[in-house]
This record gives sequence, C-alpha cells and structure tokens, in this order.
Amino acid sequence: MALLEIKNLKKVYTARFSAQQTEALSTVNFSVEEGEFVSIMGESGSGKTTLLNIISTLDDATSGEVYLDGNPLSKIKDKEVSAFRRSTLGFVFQDFNLLDNFSIKDNILLPLVLSKTPIEEMEARLMPIVRNLGIEAHIHKYPYEVSGGQKQRVAVARALITRPKIILADEPTGALDSKASQNLMEILKGINEEGQTILMVTHSTRAASFSKRVLFIRDGSVYHEIYRGGQTADEFMDRISQSLTVLSSRGEGHE
Amino acid sequence: MKGMNNRFFSALALRNIKSNKTLYIPYLLSSIAIIMMFYLMASLMANQFVQERSSALPTLFSLGVIVIAIFSVIFILYTNSFVIKKRKKEIGLYGILGLEKRHVAKILLFETMFTSVASILTGLVAGLVFGRLFFMLLNYLLKLPTDIDYVVAIDPILWTVLLFLAIFAITYIYNVSQFTFANPIKLLKGKTEGEKEPKGSIILFILSLVFLGWGYGISLTIPDPISAISKFFLAVFLVIIGTYLLFISGSIFILKALKKNKRIYYRPGAFISISGMLYRMKQNAVGLANICILASMVIIALSTTLTIYVGSEETLENRYPFENNMSLFGDPEQPELIEQQFADLQAHYEQETEKLGLEVTEMEALRFQSIYGSLDNNRFNFTEAFDGLELNVFGQVIPLEDYNGMTGKNIELAEDEALFYHSNGKYTKEELIIGDRLYQLTPIENDFSAETGLTETIVLVVPDMSHIESMMASYKEQFPDGPIVGLSADIGWNTTGTDEEKKAYADRIRMQSYSVESARYESRDLQREDWYSTNGGFLFLGIFLGLLFTIGTVLITYFKQVSEGFDDREKFQIMQKVGLDKEMIHDSTKSQIIWMFLLPIVVATIHVIFAYPIVSKLLTLFGITNEKTWLLSFIGVVIAFAAIYWVIYRITSKVYYSIVK
Repeated sequence: MALLEIKNLKKVYTARFSAQQTEALSTVNFSVEEGEFVSIMGESGSGKTTLLNIISTLDDATSGEVYLDGNPLSKIKDKEVSAFRRSTLGFVFQDFNLLDNFSIKDNILLPLVLSKTPIEEMEARLMPIVRNLGIEAHIHKYPYEVSGGQKQRVAVARALITRPKIILADEPTGALDSKASQNLMEILKGINEEGQTILMVTHSTRAASFSKRVLFIRDGSVYHEIYRGGQTADEFMDRISQSLTVLSSRGEGHE
Repeated sequence: MKGMNNRFFSALALRNIKSNKTLYIPYLLSSIAIIMMFYLMASLMANQFVQERSSALPTLFSLGVIVIAIFSVIFILYTNSFVIKKRKKEIGLYGILGLEKRHVAKILLFETMFTSVASILTGLVAGLVFGRLFFMLLNYLLKLPTDIDYVVAIDPILWTVLLFLAIFAITYIYNVSQFTFANPIKLLKGKTEGEKEPKGSIILFILSLVFLGWGYGISLTIPDPISAISKFFLAVFLVIIGTYLLFISGSIFILKALKKNKRIYYRPGAFISISGMLYRMKQNAVGLANICILASMVIIALSTTLTIYVGSEETLENRYPFENNMSLFGDPEQPELIEQQFADLQAHYEQETEKLGLEVTEMEALRFQSIYGSLDNNRFNFTEAFDGLELNVFGQVIPLEDYNGMTGKNIELAEDEALFYHSNGKYTKEELIIGDRLYQLTPIENDFSAETGLTETIVLVVPDMSHIESMMASYKEQFPDGPIVGLSADIGWNTTGTDEEKKAYADRIRMQSYSVESARYESRDLQREDWYSTNGGFLFLGIFLGLLFTIGTVLITYFKQVSEGFDDREKFQIMQKVGLDKEMIHDSTKSQIIWMFLLPIVVATIHVIFAYPIVSKLLTLFGITNEKTWLLSFIGVVIAFAAIYWVIYRITSKVYYSIVK
C-alpha cells in the first residue's frame, strides 16, 4: 500500500463576491510509496502550491481525498490537526521560516517542545541530526548569525526531528545560491537514502534531478511523470529539461 | 532636483502615514492621550484650589508636571522607535529607488510635522473638553460646598505645545539618524535581521539598586514635613530612573535564569513567551516600567487624597477635641484677668447650657503657659518668644490642678517634681533645669493636646501656678525687652441635644464670644462645613489625577499589546505551520500574565510602601496624623487599582490574541 495516495483531488476557489470560479486543481491522482523521493514540477499557477497545501492540511480540497497510510486526511478533527501536522509531517519552506527569537537549537526543538516531549528525549534526538547535517557548531547561534544554506539545513533538521512519515518541501532551494542548493539537495538525497520519504515542489531542474521520480503538473492535473531509474543526475536532468520543453510547447500548441 | 517640490514630499508623507495606519493609529492615539494628560496636569497649576489652599500644593503639582514631562519624553521616544523599526524596509526602498538621503529626510520631516501637529492639536482639544466635562461630573458627584472650577489658561497650553514640539523634534532627529548612517540594503533586510538577544548588564542592575536605595533612603530618613517637600522630587526622580534600570536589567536576569532551567523553559507556553520576551526585552522592559510608574502615581494620588478626605472627621476631632472649644489668650500685663475670665466663663457656659434646656456632658479646662527654647544637656534654655527663624522646641507648662481636673487623675507633686512629655521621646534624662529651678521628671503620655507633628514639643506639668510665675520671671530677667506671651487657657465641652439644637447653641455661643476679649470660640460642627469646603478639593484632585494616570496605564498597556501583537504575528504564523495549535497560543499568552500583570503592580506597591514615610510627613501638612486611615485607604486603593488593571489587561490581551491568531 502506498504511503501517500491522492485520489481525484479537486480544488475550486470561489471569489467572495462573485460567482466566478477558479479551478486550481481539476483531477489529481498519484501516489507516493514509502522511501520514495518525488519532485513535483510545473509553472507558476499550475497548482503545485495548492496541492502541497492540501497535503499539508493547511487547505481543504473541494472534492477527492488524500490518504496517508490509508487514512483520509479530511477525517482528522480540527483539534487534532496541529498535533497531526507536528507528529506526522515535516516541513521545509522556501524562505526557511525560522524564528529569530530562538537559537538554532531551539528552532530545531520547536515541534518537539510543542508536543511536550521530555527533555532527555529531545536532546538525544538533536545531536545525531545536527551532526549529520553539519550544523553542529552553530546550534547556540541565532538564525540571523548564519548563512542561507545553513538556515535551510536548520529547517531540514527541524523537519527531521519529529521523525515524520513524510517531508514536504516547498521550493527548498528557491532562496539559495547554486552552491548551497547543491549542498542542500545532496543532504536531502542522503536523508532519502536512509529511508525518509520526501515530496518536493520545485522549479529547478537541477534540484529535481536529485529525486527518484518527477511529476509534471499543468492546468491542475498531473500531466506526465518520469523515473530516474539507473541514470546519473546529469542524465536525469537532461530528461527533465526535455520533458519541460515538450510540456510547454504542447501547451502553446493547445492555445 | 528642484522640480521635486514640497507638495510632492508632503503628499508622499501623507500617503505613507495612511498606508501604515495599523502602526500610526495606535501611535497617534497614545501620543494624543499623553499630550492630553500633560496638558491637564499643567492646567491644574492654574487651578484656584491648588494656588490658594496651601503653599505646598503648587510645588507638589509643578513636580507632578515635571514627572509627566519626563514620562512623556520616554513614552513618545519608545513608541516612535517601535514605529520606525517596522518601517525600515519601506524607507530603505526609497534609497534603492534613487531618492537621496536629504529627500528621505524631507519626507520624514513632513511625516513628523503632520503627526505632531495633528496629535498636539487633538491632544489639546481633548484636554480642554475632557477637563471641563470631568470637572463638571466630579462637581456633580461630590457635591462639595463650593464647586471647583476648571480654569483655562494660556501658559499650560504654551508649555504643552513647546514640550511636545521638542519631543517630536527629537524623534525626527532620531529617525533621520537611523537612515543616514545605514545602507539601503541593510535597511531592506532591517526588520528580518533581528536584534541580538540582550546581554544582562550587572552594572545597570547595581546602578538600579543604587538609585532605588537612594530614593527609598530619602523617604525613610526624612526628618520633618518641610524638608519632605523639597526632597520629594529628588526621591521621585531617583525611583523613576531606578525603576527603568531595574526593569531593563533585572528582567533580563530573571528571564535568562528561567531559560537556563530546562524543565521550565522547554514547555510550550514558557518556551514561546520567555524567548519572545527576551527577544524584545528592552522594549518590553520600558513598557513594564512605564506601567509600574503610572501605577505608583495612581496609588499615591488616590490613597493620599482619600486619606485626607476620610481622615477629615478624625482631623476635626484632632483639632477640635470638643464640640465647643474656647481659647483664651491672656494679657501678659494683667495676668490676673485671664484667671478671672477662666473661672467665670466655665460657670457662664454651664448656665447658658441650662438656659437652653441642655446639659453639659463633659467639660475640660486647662491653663497653660507657652514657652520657646532649646533642650541643652539637662537644661531648657529660653529663646525669645516667636523667634521664628530658629524654632527649636515649643513647650507648654500646665499647673497640676488643671492636669488632674482634665485627666481625672489624682497625682501629687512635691515642689521639685514635674510631669514631663516629649514629642519625639529623645529626652530621657530624669531631671530638667528650667529657669532657676531643677525638676525631677516623671514621664507621662500625651492625652491632653493635639499633636501637630510639625515641631518638637515638650509638656511640663508643674505643682502650681507659682512655678509658672517664677519661670516667666526668669524669662523676663533674661530678655528684658523680649516679647512676652501671656498665660493661655482652653475650655472645651460637649452638650446633650439634637444636631439642630447643638447648631443653634453653637451660633449663640459664637455671638457671645465676640464680646469676650482676646478669645476665640470654635464649634466643631461649624468648622466641619468650613473644613469640607477647603479640603474637599483634595479628593477632587485625587480622583482626577487617579483617572488621568489610569488612562495613561490603559494606553500603554494597549500600545504594548498591539505593538507586540504585530511583532509576534509572523512568528505565530510560522509556528502554526509547524504545528502550533490555537490552544497553545492561548497558553503562551496566559503565561505572560504573571509577568505582565503582577510585576508592575508588585513593584509599584513596593515603591509606595517605601514612599510611606515621606508621604505621611507631607500629609501632616494637611493635618492628617492617623496612620491607620492611610494604611487602610492605601490597601483599598492597591486592591481597587489591581482589579482595574486586571480588566485592562484582559481586554488588551484579547486584542493581542486576535492580532496574532
């Protein structure tokens, strides 16, 4: 059984004072197996972010369902939704979303503190993760004292520390230079190789080339998908680029 | 660039204020209120009651004006720095878009001009309206014998305009300096860059204790009411400075200690609130100190005036121990005259009472000789009577006969014995030489004359009148040309009868007293009316000031919560993304209660407790000597204010919650 299963997902936004409707997602179907690293690519306005928000329980679907471990997300009660997000999902955002008033260590521990985890447990989990991500030396600093790449690694550590079923990453390399992007993607790849499931939304073919499968989304539905198989990152990147070119030219042909 | 004219900049400035209204509305509202507060306080200086009631009042009120002026400077600089910090990014953008620094300075100038003129004008109008309305309301509610008028004078308006123009000019210079020395890129990041967590400074902390200790020390060691007036301001000033330093340095220590304790810190509520408070500690501490100082002012203003008002009955009893009080002042040339009058009048009043069908229930009569001098070793040295410049010790010498008659005791004294009372109890020798006689002393309590508390007083009860005569003979020998005070006498009595009968009786005795030479008749009932018309104003002003400072507290609490709400909003949104639920937001705001609510109230209460000695000295100037009344109204006011502040706190924290969620 798939870890994450998306069935006939549809999202329609209705403007508040008019009957005009905008369809963000028409019908989305796909699934993510445990241990996979899936990238979702598409142009701005293709519905990527809406899709990620619904999976993150930050937004509701108009129809269709998202199943995590076979359980429908729409059945989670309002009261439990925060706890669910905390314990089951890990988030990495484009703009890091670190809090300046917390040290790096406290930023990482935040979800655990919110779950009222015992201190011993928190500290036991912290060290292996920060060592693994190479931010061990900075844990007593504050976010404004470290570089963008380090900030994003802190965000990854914060996502990992709850041992989530799946990490949802929204344009994680969007605010990083190419060197830091490369470094971050290698880290995500490494984490995935240790068994962590990752679902990432990205614009960058370079970033997507680190994943095992790429889904292309357009006009609110999944349009195409390619698997990396045994290809090298560079070969896979070429394929992704070709797919994107085909995707956009066909799009133009339609119009 | 001449083409960029003033109209362009002023339009831009106006638009900026409009587009930042979430920042500017609280800023303008609190500026208006503080201007109104200052103006109202200053306008009281022109108030007739303040001017005429006591020479101490104008001094105390001008002190109040200075305190509020200092407070206004700190408050407006604090709110301004908050607003400008939030606008760093926007103003940095101007630099990027190609505006020169002097252009940015011009935009800021127009902005400051608009906001300052608007808030000064509105503040003054609000002050005029509020002052008038509130005086009307208080006159209506308190029903004092004479209404207290609200006076509009030019001077206070002028002071207000000048002070606040100066304050806003300082904010302008501060704002411009913020942008002149910064590069646009940094400004663009400005808000997100974040402050460094403050380092606790042990020096500041020690300094705060020094200032507080000094201020408290002045209060604790104040010797008499006259020096209390002059030292009061210094003490208030020291305590205000000490409070700011204490909150700034002390709170960092406490928060850091809490943070170090992992069991406390790593719990959702504490985790969010402690780190949040440490992050903007300076701002937070200034806000708390503001609240604390205003709370102290409310408590002192209200509890003292309440004491004067509630204590007035007791003051009346103090000054007029009987319903009817007759004082006789003897002619030193004809000492036998007062002796005669003294006996005659006592008999006369007995008869008068009977005539009206009433009965005398109690009567006390006392002759006494006033003496002035100093206590030196075991000797009382005379000084010339009324040598006002160096009033050392005031003495009353009473014949034993009258003392026994008054107290109902039956004490006997040998020729070289006397009863002795000393107001500050410092004279503990068992003998005293006065004139050419040596007395063996027996200490007694003061149960015969009102304690004024103003000067050092001794009372000497001597075996008989001949001792007084020989004492005065020694005085005359020493100061042949000096003024001589004759023997005085007090007669006090109560009668039966209803209030009307008593009043009629008092009127009749008063009419008769006009024909008695060198005498003064005072009826407690007649005096009561007088008293309320002269002192009711205290309660009036006390409530007025209490209300004024409470409004200040409301505003600061409101501004603090709103500004922190906007500060924390983004933070809470991020935390919600990683799984913070609404309940936890509630928890974290709740755990700030102890900090926000209790701390200012507790420190204010400590301030007021230490202010107790100096304030009670000041109260003696207005005839209040009973400490119990003071204590009770103090406790009452603290509880009442805590309750009001609690309500303010709850309402404003709802505002905070609605912003962050």
